[in-house]
Amino acid sequence: MCIDSQMLSAYLDGELPEPYKTQVEEHLEHCPACRKHLCDMKDLDERIKAASFSDEILLRNKDKIFSLLDKKYFEKGKKISFLRRRLEVSVPSLVTAAAAVVFIFIGGFMFFGTSSDQTKDILPSFAMQADSSNVHYVSDNDGLENYTLEEILQYLDSKGYNVDISIKGLQPLETEPAQN
Amino acid sequence: MEIKSTDRDDFRRIYDENYHLIVQVIMHIVYNIEIAEDLTQEAFERFYLKNMTFPGEDDAKYWLIRVAKNLALNHVRRNKREIEMVEKVRHNPASSLESRDAAESAVEADERRAVRAAVDSLPENLRMVIQLKEYSGLDYKSIAKVLGISETNVKVRVYRARKKLEEALMTEDRDVY
Repeated sequence: MCIDSQMLSAYLDGELPEPYKTQVEEHLEHCPACRKHLCDMKDLDERIKAASFSDEILLRNKDKIFSLLDKKYFEKGKKISFLRRRLEVSVPSLVTAAAAVVFIFIGGFMFFGTSSDQTKDILPSFAMQADSSNVHYVSDNDGLENYTLEEILQYLDSKGYNVDISIKGLQPLETEPAQN
Repeated sequence: MEIKSTDRDDFRRIYDENYHLIVQVIMHIVYNIEIAEDLTQEAFERFYLKNMTFPGEDDAKYWLIRVAKNLALNHVRRNKREIEMVEKVRHNPASSLESRDAAESAVEADERRAVRAAVDSLPENLRMVIQLKEYSGLDYKSIAKVLGISETNVKVRVYRARKKLEEALMTEDRDVY
């Protein structure tokens, strides 16, 4: 069986790994058709390569462009401005820094409490109004679990809300007869 | 060795080693040396302004090729009208582009134009691969890194590009003779 063209193309580029490379070489030795195929491919390759541009054209302004860039960016005293400088901080270190700030902030209150004396030191204007007479702890208020459903409905009704309650996903009790 | 794009010595080395490659890559997309030089300059300016440290010279090279290729493709897309003129220039034997070919035979110049036209008519994904392979001398691994595709994919694309070019150039030959 002859060599697959794609394999031959990779062989031509020297990109075929072993053991395929040796196999291809062995096959080429006794297969004129594949040798011709490879030869044609090589010819085509040379034709394509021949269409490149000469160094004379490509490099004609190499030095000129370099001195232009050199003047623009590396002239004495010219450094990249602070704003253009990219601040490179990795994500994990940013997260750590943010966590540390939060920890210190909360930790301060946890360890030292929030007596009004200290509040006065930290936030004088706030301490004036913040004492036990006008500060309510939200968590001390009764939650909804202290009311029956009926009381809640009554309350909402008195406020003029139109409440529609439906219950979903309930299975009938197995002990009850089906016709109920 | 690490490359800092704003370091003068590093910049100089990367410029010296890659200018030829970059201008070549762009030239095979825009086919106009003045535009190719402008875009090459822009690619190196972007390299400096990127203000980045590359892990090695190859990484800087791949980055530059990618930027150069995109600048050139964008230029071509943006300037359709101008491109039509370039097209004329490319098919005009007396163009300045071919001036260096003055000494060579008309047949060779024709052959060169035929191949360029054939390469240019390939779909972009095949064209970039074959150009990086044939004109920039990159191996499959490097091409894969520049284009962000697998090496197997490069292998397949090189083969397909060759097949299409063979067909296109064979038809051309039949037309000529």
